[in-house]
Amino acid sequence: MPRIIIDNRQIECREGIPVLQAALEAGLDVPHYCYHPSLSVVASCRLCLMQMKMPHPKTQEMVWSPKLVPSCQTPVRDGMEVRFKSEAVAKNQKACMEFFLLNHPLDCPVCDQAGECYLQDYSYHFGDAESRMVDQKLVNPKKDIGPGTLLYQDRCVMCTRCVRFIGEISGTHELCMVHRGSRTEIDVFPGLPLDNPLQGNVVDVCPVGSMLDKDFLFKRRVWELSGTPSICPGCATGCSIRIDHADNRVCRLKPRFNPKVNDRWMCDEGRFGFKYIHEANRIASPIVRRGLEQTTPSWEQLPEIVRFRFQEHVRRNGAEKVVAVLSPFMTCEEGWLLIRFIRTIAPEAALVMGPVPLEGEDQYFPVGATSKAVKFTILAEKCPNRRGIEMLLKAAGGTTLTFGEFVEQSGKGEFSSAWVVGGYAKPWIDKATAKIAANIELLVVQDIFESGLVAGAAIVLPARAWVEREGSFVNTAGLVQPFERAIAPPDGGRYDGQYLFEIAGYEGLFSAGRVREMMAESISAFREIYEAPVLPAHTH
Amino acid sequence: MIKDDDILLLDEPRLNAAERLYIPQIVDGMIVTLRHLGKSLFKRPITVQYPEEQRQLRVENYRGVHRLNRDEQGRVACVACFMCATACPVRCIHIEAGESAWDDREKYPVKFDIDELRCIYCGMCEEACPVDAIELTPHYDLVGRSRQEMILDKEELLSIYDGTRDLKPRKNPRITGYPGTGNRPEQAEPPKDEAKA
Repeated sequence: MPRIIIDNRQIECREGIPVLQAALEAGLDVPHYCYHPSLSVVASCRLCLMQMKMPHPKTQEMVWSPKLVPSCQTPVRDGMEVRFKSEAVAKNQKACMEFFLLNHPLDCPVCDQAGECYLQDYSYHFGDAESRMVDQKLVNPKKDIGPGTLLYQDRCVMCTRCVRFIGEISGTHELCMVHRGSRTEIDVFPGLPLDNPLQGNVVDVCPVGSMLDKDFLFKRRVWELSGTPSICPGCATGCSIRIDHADNRVCRLKPRFNPKVNDRWMCDEGRFGFKYIHEANRIASPIVRRGLEQTTPSWEQLPEIVRFRFQEHVRRNGAEKVVAVLSPFMTCEEGWLLIRFIRTIAPEAALVMGPVPLEGEDQYFPVGATSKAVKFTILAEKCPNRRGIEMLLKAAGGTTLTFGEFVEQSGKGEFSSAWVVGGYAKPWIDKATAKIAANIELLVVQDIFESGLVAGAAIVLPARAWVEREGSFVNTAGLVQPFERAIAPPDGGRYDGQYLFEIAGYEGLFSAGRVREMMAESISAFREIYEAPVLPAHTH
Repeated sequence: MIKDDDILLLDEPRLNAAERLYIPQIVDGMIVTLRHLGKSLFKRPITVQYPEEQRQLRVENYRGVHRLNRDEQGRVACVACFMCATACPVRCIHIEAGESAWDDREKYPVKFDIDELRCIYCGMCEEACPVDAIELTPHYDLVGRSRQEMILDKEELLSIYDGTRDLKPRKNPRITGYPGTGNRPEQAEPPKDEAKA
């Protein structure tokens, strides 16, 4: 590992990274716009320039070079000495900031980026309060460059991160730079809008308020949001994301760095796919039906009622007539608790893997990339935890059926009591399949939205969206990735993990970590979880 | 959530024996009381017979009910930047921003509600406003028959401006809108509810 000296401080860093990256990883705040660790280096913003010790051409003595060098383009070498705390570097940073702000409209109060804008941060820390420009500012109206994104050209610092992202990661090449000098701007080609499954990332890579998300536009000021680390349930890739929420509502999703899965990106489908959680027609509270009578039990009574009804059925019809359908939208912890409950009540109960939604084909990015060059994947399997549930079913042993077999057998009336978990983001069961409800005497349905199955259920439990739960998903590569709870369910009631914990016979508060420890005793795969590393403070 | 770093532990100042008697403080207080008593008895009374008689207020800086100013064209001057809502210590301002159809401005408040019951009339909103759109007026006798009635919406706040503009004209704002960004070349229709205003 090379050792370098930055500002008289010795730093040990990774091999082959630029000095800028080494400085950021050491916790230094070095201003930079164009450098992005996942994109190629262009060294165009000139904001990260540093001073470096070089051999004097005549005496060969190591002296500070009179010219500044870009730290983003200089790889670290053992023994090198650089500095950012010098008059020349500070002067350059001031000059650069003044240059970036020449045509900037200074409209922070109405700009959506305000609060997470690196023009604001850097001009505060490294810039000057005044501009010496006497000419009229160039005015460049905002451009609608695609269905999801707006381009505010006069806030742009021409770092070309967006252009490089579109070229190197999505590989769709919609963006380009046009014109020259002070009139340079980012643009799309005529008739070819920025429209690809990864386009939302240009908003994230933009260090200023130039690229803005139409979906989030004017909705909230960013300082009102609180972020909770989570995992995207959109497909089996399991991207690390951050849930930005305020007032118990999810406002937007942002990708989170995860070197093993999604790097720093996420797809639009995941990014905008959370809307269903705020729909008004969600099942809010548990319902218990007995004959024509329908009641809403309190959360405290619920575990007792569910246990009693199942015990009653097992006594009457036998344990082999019990079945549980697990959904690939459940967390591993919930799946484990449900299996535990069902197998305690009826040791011979059958377990079923719920339907796995498939949509289209797997998509690899950059477009047309072959296996090794793939930088981002969107899978056709639109559920987060098929692998995790399969692992649980395998560990549980006993009778396991496919969903098709379950529908067929229950059509013949082979099951008298069933626990069916839905929780899918989209309607998942058609009317014909939902008719099996008539053949099952005690049907417990745990779902988010109304369906034919819910209408025929004896007990309805409200499934919560993933933002309202905690637990872990196992992605397609087999990583067990835990996630946290961001908001409370719409009715403020209990969430799946909590009520399953109580139904399974435990007392107290559900904690995914504690349940995982219990699971790890019998299933070794859950001994190791993967949590993405947190990036150093000043990287972006 | 309160973090440990946010908590400051302060020790109460220790009082000495003389201070613990509280006699100087009581004497101080009595002097003030007696001074007022004397003034009321021998000079003009310090109280006024409200509501028959009303006190003269300093119009410029009295902090009463809010108003939302209009610009020269009669539109709401607010640009929906949320600075007032952010500065508000009691979170009594609720704004919903929307895209404006005017050329000189990108955002405008679709909804602008102030909970006058929750408000502590500190004037931070007025301080924070970059376009001097929200101001506090000398009106202090706001009444309502329900809590809901005391939540003033955009139209009510604008009508307060119409009622007080002669008493307290709008200051000349340094910035009137945010031209430049958001300028659209084509002329668009103003939003419906604004057109009526």
